[in-house]
Amino acid sequence: MTDPNGHGQRVVGIPAEPPAALHGRLLQVSRMATIGEMAAGVAHELNQPLTAIANYAQACSRLLARPGADTSELQQALTEITAQAGRAADIIRRLRALAGNRQSDRAAVSVNALVKEIIDLVESDARLHGVPVSLEFADKLPDVLVDAGQIQHAVLNFVRNSLEALASRPSGTGRLVIRTAVTPQHDVELAVIDNGPGIARETAGRLFDPFFSTKESGTGMGLAISNTIARMHGGSVGYRANLPAGACFYILLPAASTT
Amino acid sequence: MREPAATIYIVDDDEGVRNSLRFLLKSVGHVCQTLASAQEFLETYQPKQPGCLILDVRMPGMSGLELQQQLNLRGAIIPVIFITGHGDVPMAVEAMQHGASDFLQKPFRDQDLLDRIQRALERDTRNRAALTEHERIRASFDSLTPREREVLGLMTRGKSNKVMAAELGVSQRTVEIHRARVMDKTGAASLAQLVRMAIDLES
Repeated sequence: MTDPNGHGQRVVGIPAEPPAALHGRLLQVSRMATIGEMAAGVAHELNQPLTAIANYAQACSRLLARPGADTSELQQALTEITAQAGRAADIIRRLRALAGNRQSDRAAVSVNALVKEIIDLVESDARLHGVPVSLEFADKLPDVLVDAGQIQHAVLNFVRNSLEALASRPSGTGRLVIRTAVTPQHDVELAVIDNGPGIARETAGRLFDPFFSTKESGTGMGLAISNTIARMHGGSVGYRANLPAGACFYILLPAASTT
Repeated sequence: MREPAATIYIVDDDEGVRNSLRFLLKSVGHVCQTLASAQEFLETYQPKQPGCLILDVRMPGMSGLELQQQLNLRGAIIPVIFITGHGDVPMAVEAMQHGASDFLQKPFRDQDLLDRIQRALERDTRNRAALTEHERIRASFDSLTPREREVLGLMTRGKSNKVMAAELGVSQRTVEIHRARVMDKTGAASLAQLVRMAIDLES
């Protein structure tokens, strides 16, 4: 920082650090934290193909122990084992892609495609909470010029919040919707909607402030970072009550110019 | 011991797990039916069908625990073996309190599952026999005339024929006839057995 005379000046309490580097680190830390929070869902998701593989393998041992084992039956089980191993590898590959320390590469994409890329992760987490996820995609969405990983990160933050809010509902009644739309101002809106208790009016105004959290163990950084991500893309994040009950968190992104 | 027609129902929303379980159970000769949701199970389940239920705890929509509660509400007696992806102790405790026969963590040793299925099927057979007997007793008691029911009441309280005759204002011979009919209709071999039947109906 420099004063009007060109002399260097330190502002007490604010570290002199290149803002872009700090920001990149913060994003990376936050992304890892989000993924960490989702680890239980991922672990559960990986456990399914592992269970299937174990079942098939043990069945094969039993079949082989018998004289005159039917090889076509064994073949069928081995094909399934291969498929389930592939499924487990897929889950890990997607997680790696999301966790990777990626450069900020912006590309014109549809937000629908962004959501589809992380839907497995969202669904595994939601399944763990017993919450069905529905997608309501707008048909003709203009592309947005974004860093896919960052936008996905913001969406995952919204999803985490919703799933935690839904934990207060009787089991089996929680619903989560991811909806995309074009606003009258031709912005693209990506919203995560739940039928949880919603946000109290008095706290709604502070939701996106750093270190503000209504959760006992919350860092208060999730929504603040989503907010920063949106603003870096020339967009914004917001909250509105979902009627008749619940919360709707959305991110607004400007449509990529078609010229 | 095991009824030959027992069906193992497998309810799990994960297709891979579901199909692998069916493959495993078929490889040891069990008859299986797989269902992708609790709702589907409720729609297809026939209470008369002997068997047991292998149920995933966490599923979208109706969870395994909720299905168990639904079954309890409907008076279904099918034994439930819960399977879960995590060592979720509070959930296991809740399930067991609601009458689950067993709880297994995925992935499991096949022998552990097969042993539990065997136990569950034996339990189902016992439950069904008890239920059939209970229904038979109820039907036989329902077939008694009002007078025979009065006699039954006095018999189970240990009254002699003489006392009964006096209380009912009939001859001892008539009491003896009613008594014989009660024993005949209920199929009780002794007064002691008749008393046990009456207690069974009240429980």
